[in-house]
Amino acid sequence: MVHESLAATQAVVTLDVGLPGIVWGWIITMNMWAKSIGTGVIFMLFYLLKKYPNEAGYLRFPLTVISIVAIHVFLFFTVIDLHQMFRFWHIFVYGHFTSAIAVGSFLATGFVGLIFLLAYASYIKKDNALFDKVLTWTVLLGIPVTLYTAALMAQSTARELWQMPTEAVQMILAATLSGSATVLLVGAKLPYEAKRDMAVVLGFSAFMAFLIYMSEYVFGPMKAEEVAATLEFIKGHGEYTTMFWIGQVFAFIIPMVLVTLSVQNKSTGLLTLASVSALAGLWVTKHVWLVIPQLLSMS
Amino acid sequence: MHLGFLVDLHLCMGCKGCEIACKVENEVPLSTWRLRVKYVDVGVFPETKRTFTPLRCNHCANAPCERICPVSALHYIENGIVNIDKERCIGCAGCVMACPYGAIYIDPETQTADKCTYCAHRIASSLMPACVVACPVEANIFGDLDDPASNISRYIMENQGDVQVRKPEKGTDPHHYYVGGGNIQLNPLASVRTEGHNLFGKLTSKMPVGGHH
Ligand code: SF4
Ligand code: SF4
Repeated sequence: MVHESLAATQAVVTLDVGLPGIVWGWIITMNMWAKSIGTGVIFMLFYLLKKYPNEAGYLRFPLTVISIVAIHVFLFFTVIDLHQMFRFWHIFVYGHFTSAIAVGSFLATGFVGLIFLLAYASYIKKDNALFDKVLTWTVLLGIPVTLYTAALMAQSTARELWQMPTEAVQMILAATLSGSATVLLVGAKLPYEAKRDMAVVLGFSAFMAFLIYMSEYVFGPMKAEEVAATLEFIKGHGEYTTMFWIGQVFAFIIPMVLVTLSVQNKSTGLLTLASVSALAGLWVTKHVWLVIPQLLSMS
Repeated sequence: MHLGFLVDLHLCMGCKGCEIACKVENEVPLSTWRLRVKYVDVGVFPETKRTFTPLRCNHCANAPCERICPVSALHYIENGIVNIDKERCIGCAGCVMACPYGAIYIDPETQTADKCTYCAHRIASSLMPACVVACPVEANIFGDLDDPASNISRYIMENQGDVQVRKPEKGTDPHHYYVGGGNIQLNPLASVRTEGHNLFGKLTSKMPVGGHH
């Protein structure tokens, strides 16, 4: 452990280059957050159309538009984070397919094509059968689109905190959490049962994500020295302790409590608050988890 | 052919000759480093000693930076060097996230990734890397790991039991070895890092991406 070796050796770096700062910052947080919404609403729409085909039918076009906007926010932030953004096309010409970035770029491009097809089916053709058929493929492609960022984090060998399959599960939960929260915000006309289902998805996603973060928080340091050192930034007087807990409370704890109260009382009044809290908290949570491994010296 | 480096830390005296030679040879911009020598002080006065550790890219045989690069800007050349094509790099910084040794930086002038290439351009002309030439005590030993008669292979054989790589647990298979190193030199978590002991720490312009933490 870090502290033991320090106490034993009294070793101090007395001359070296400065620690590198954060290279993947809030722009990448925006990227992950927006992508969760973009794919999450598609997953939720698929569920609602299966379970409540008549009552949820009116959401086909609005949720498609939200997905298009969110995915373009994701794409925008992906591109502006590149230090040579005008070379983005290199991925499509020189694609190197051991890289999650290259694979993800192709997947996301396919996903964009499908959501535009959904918009065409719902707005121009007004063909629900076509829409529902395309939606199935969109959901299937949406799963790897959601997951590829987890693969990218797993490929980041330097950042011990980001492990597979944990990150994969967290990405899917982020999509179901943000997707259900968004549907609850825009689906005022949905029947109570549909809203309750979305609330349950929101509450369950929050619970599972919180459980995993807490497991890593408590048990991660028992497995790897680097994880222990990374988590010091969100423990005690760590630089990101406050931000970490703000994220956990807003993203997971508040939604869990409000969803429980809503379901118990058969009322939907609190769900708007739960949804806003989840969406805001998710951003903060993702940001902290993205940034803290970058504060460690790698050499 | 698999080219590799070995640094004999018994010999290194921390003169930073290699660091400067590298800067000059490769025109490494201000505030960024392909190779640098880290000083770590150990013990409590008067029982203290200072250690010097040259740190550069390890040219891993299983390189995470090469794997994560979406456009193969980082690529292997036939002599085992992990080279970089700066014209192809899109600056996604995936490699910066992947390299467990902090060997890659984003060049503030070209806005592309860069790192030690074992002076691939010099090797192509049958010259030794600039840092090897500059080292006054021949602490840097460079050569073909596949050739049992090369200096580096013989050095490794003669010092068996005292040859180490950085972070072997990462499974990167570094082609860069240290003789006479220990936890203090090779594990960044084994020493305290306080601000105020940085080389040119007061630089405010042409900062590398992310600035300095
Ligand atoms: S040390 Fe880092 S930059 Fe060099 S080959 Fe290994 S992973 Fe790549
Ligand atoms: S920054 Fe350049 S070299 Fe590094 S992974 Fe991205 S494209 Fe490849």
